[in-house]
Amino acid sequence: MEFQAIHDRLKAQGAPGLLGFDEPRPANKKEKDPGRAGMPFVTVDHAHLVEFLRMCRDDDKLAFDILVDLTASDPSADSEELWILIQLLSLKHKHRLAIKAPLPKAAATVASATAIYRAAQWHERECAEMYGITFVGNPDPRHILLPDDWEGYPLRKDYEFPREYHGISCE
Amino acid sequence: MSLLQDAAGPVLEHAARPEGDASIFVSLHRWLIPEAFADQVPTWFVALGGIGIGLGLLIGLISVTVMFCVWLERKVSGHIQCRTGPMYAGGWHGWAQSIADGVKLLTKEDTVPKDADRTMFWIAPAIVLASIFGALAAMPISYDWWFGRMDLGVFAILALSSTTTIGVVMAGWASNSKWSLYGAMREAAQVVAYEIPLGLSLLAPLFALGTFSLGEASALQSGWFGMKWAIFTNPFLLPAFLIYAIAALAETKRAPFDLPEAESELVAGFMTEYSGIRWSFFFFEEYAAMLLMSIVGAFFWFGGFESPVTGALRSAGVEESSLLFGFVCFGTVMLKGLFGIFLMMWLRWTLPRVRIDQVMTMGYKYLTPLALVCVLGAACWEALVHALFS
Amino acid sequence: MTDTVGKSEVEQTPQDYKPSIRPEEQRTLPSGEKEFFFDVTTSDLEVNMGPQHPATHGVMRVLIRCDGELVTGAQAHLGYLHRCAEKIGENVEWLQYLPYTDRYDYLASMNNNLGYSLAVEALMPELEIPRRATLLRTICAELNRIASHLVAIGTYGLDIGAFTPFLYAFREREWIQALFEKICGARLTYSYIRIGGVFNDAPPGWLQEVGHFCDVFEEKWKEYHDLLAVNHVFVMRTANVGVIPKEMAIDFGLTGPMLRGSGVDFDLRRDMPYMAYGEAHEAGAFDVPLGEGKKGALGDCWDRFYVRMLEMKECIKLVRWCLEVIEDGPIIGDVPKVLKVPAGEAYVGIENPRGELGHYVHSDGGKVAVRCRVRGPSFVNLAVVEELMPGALLADSVAIIGSTDIVIGETDR
Repeated sequence: MEFQAIHDRLKAQGAPGLLGFDEPRPANKKEKDPGRAGMPFVTVDHAHLVEFLRMCRDDDKLAFDILVDLTASDPSADSEELWILIQLLSLKHKHRLAIKAPLPKAAATVASATAIYRAAQWHERECAEMYGITFVGNPDPRHILLPDDWEGYPLRKDYEFPREYHGISCE
Repeated sequence: MSLLQDAAGPVLEHAARPEGDASIFVSLHRWLIPEAFADQVPTWFVALGGIGIGLGLLIGLISVTVMFCVWLERKVSGHIQCRTGPMYAGGWHGWAQSIADGVKLLTKEDTVPKDADRTMFWIAPAIVLASIFGALAAMPISYDWWFGRMDLGVFAILALSSTTTIGVVMAGWASNSKWSLYGAMREAAQVVAYEIPLGLSLLAPLFALGTFSLGEASALQSGWFGMKWAIFTNPFLLPAFLIYAIAALAETKRAPFDLPEAESELVAGFMTEYSGIRWSFFFFEEYAAMLLMSIVGAFFWFGGFESPVTGALRSAGVEESSLLFGFVCFGTVMLKGLFGIFLMMWLRWTLPRVRIDQVMTMGYKYLTPLALVCVLGAACWEALVHALFS
Repeated sequence: MTDTVGKSEVEQTPQDYKPSIRPEEQRTLPSGEKEFFFDVTTSDLEVNMGPQHPATHGVMRVLIRCDGELVTGAQAHLGYLHRCAEKIGENVEWLQYLPYTDRYDYLASMNNNLGYSLAVEALMPELEIPRRATLLRTICAELNRIASHLVAIGTYGLDIGAFTPFLYAFREREWIQALFEKICGARLTYSYIRIGGVFNDAPPGWLQEVGHFCDVFEEKWKEYHDLLAVNHVFVMRTANVGVIPKEMAIDFGLTGPMLRGSGVDFDLRRDMPYMAYGEAHEAGAFDVPLGEGKKGALGDCWDRFYVRMLEMKECIKLVRWCLEVIEDGPIIGDVPKVLKVPAGEAYVGIENPRGELGHYVHSDGGKVAVRCRVRGPSFVNLAVVEELMPGALLADSVAIIGSTDIVIGETDR
């Protein structure tokens, strides 16, 4: 299915938390829109993310059986929100879906998708340590790439590089 | 047993040598001390000197052979793997590579892990080395030259060569490393499992030949122009040899049974924490054990000293006690031993490693019953031949 | 910190030790005695496989809990090779990041270059990639896939204990590296595939040599097949070991040979074609080999290994097809020296030798990415190891880790 058809299907099925979608468009000088390149995605309310994923997986027409990627992004240091970015893939229908779930930086807590896709577990661990997002319900919330005692969330835009680590200077 | 010995009676008479105590010490002192002075030299000096020279010869001989085997292993593996192996040390095809390695290992720091059991850690390689030298001492060099003449040579060899296991288990335990412990336990389990088929499969040629002594076993196979090898005389000896070969591989911890070392699973097994000269002791033991197992196989299946060359020498009237005959005997048995080692190397560089449960299954479930069948078959065959032809 | 493996030695209290025979389980013998009157207490042994261990193919640590030779639990600890690739991606210019992509999956650098380039190109709709560049990219990506699979099967033999196939595999890999050296000057970290095309045209005679390599390789392939794939000991060690059923493979998000080894018929090159793969598939240039459970259960280590073996043959067919259709022409599109990528977000996944290599790039129209996410297949595929380990033997655990064919540079990035 093409992206538009997927979106329509989601809408018709009343996907929980579906906020809208964004497609690439050419620049429009009149409306002062710089345009956007790249690929389309749907926007989902982070509070309903897990139910949304469950629907994507279980719906026959969508059948997104593989969670390819789950990550986050910090669009800018001034931004009030983080984005959770999920890439789904359907082996049956051979289509993809990109999901963006904005999340307030101040309360970066979201339910874990591990129960729906086991693949999410390690991605969530990485996300948690890099962006300081708490995934409620992740069975193994340890750090994965960083040391257990690492301070700060390195991929946030306001991250300050440490001056030293365990007495070793990083200057 | 007596029945079989009776059958071999005439041959045994041929084998029995007038100077029964022809140990290498005695033969040596006969050469070294001129007969005129023989009375003036004190007995203790002769004894001590003999022992010293004998030990020196034994250690020298085995060391040189082992070093050659190490070089051979590198060359064989190299050529199997489409490369050349060592080419530089010493000039001609890297012949001095083993010497260079030896010097490097000798001068390397001998480290002991902090929490290791120091005493046991130090003793373990010595035990391993001593037992393998002890076992090799039971090996005759020719009909007349022995390091230690033993009528029950096979028993001595089996007993002493299994003692290495104690050293290996000690090394694994004393290293205070979990990987080493795994290696040691695997070694213990494996040796216990394969000692049985090894001993049983050796019983088959023992029945066929009717002797425990290696020299006598060789003499018994001297007929048919040096080709009356045991393996040709009894159909049950071929399967017995195959079982022996597999069990010997397991005993010497060679691939595909190198589970105690298992470099991709246990890092280096029981040797993980060893370095320098102590590590080289284990290495040395491995090759010496290969030599031992090959030579025992050569003595009990493939004629020992006997080959058409010795047959030709005999018919040319060369005496068995002569120097020439001695060297030919020695060369023959060494060649047979080295060929066995070559086969072991070939297997090592071809086969993957089996798993511990597969090793145990094979040892207990298949090799042991098969070895029993071979022993029974060999004994029955001998009885049959005896009944028909005497 | 909760350990899924269980309590570490420090935390283990005496109450956790349980006797192998409990008093209430003892039977009374006819003579009136208790069957076992001794009480042996045992506890599982925790062993660290790694960070320096030959079986982990790099610096990774797998904490294994063992009951004798039997593995009862495993936990992977990553991050020893973490080099902040994603943070660097947010701090260097678009083109400057390309050499960093070489470094995560260092056995398949061409594919990494390709994945990143395609992701950036997805943000530049007006950029046109010349056909010759596309075909050169395909040739290099497929040759690199062969090289990567050669390492995979060679080191897998090494894990199982066979040393020789490893060197046989490296013999052919050496040739591929020499070919790459001729086309781009590097042997491991190529940076050859650039945004917009490739940076260097094939030198004279290069394409003929690639054709010659294809002929020779098909002969050599039989050697690996005889030495490993049908070797009885090898089959004993890998068949029915580490079985990943279809559902589990999908649930864990496995991709590439790991997924196909479980019998799931999915290959990005065929099913969601990029570059010239769609055209190649229509021309019948390649098939997608699947695990069939020939030697044991479907989805065991042998199946995964054999899928890689068969894939190498398909790569050869693909390269041959490319050599047939390639023609002269420009090799790189119109890309400025200082690249400003239009604002937008794109995720592009390609079929790396290990599975789906995904790049998510987010540009705000500037010279530097806002977010440069790498979805490494090794990282995802490794997660399944913890699940497969319990119940395996210690030697099997090595076989399982080896069959996932991970590259630590990519799991840790």
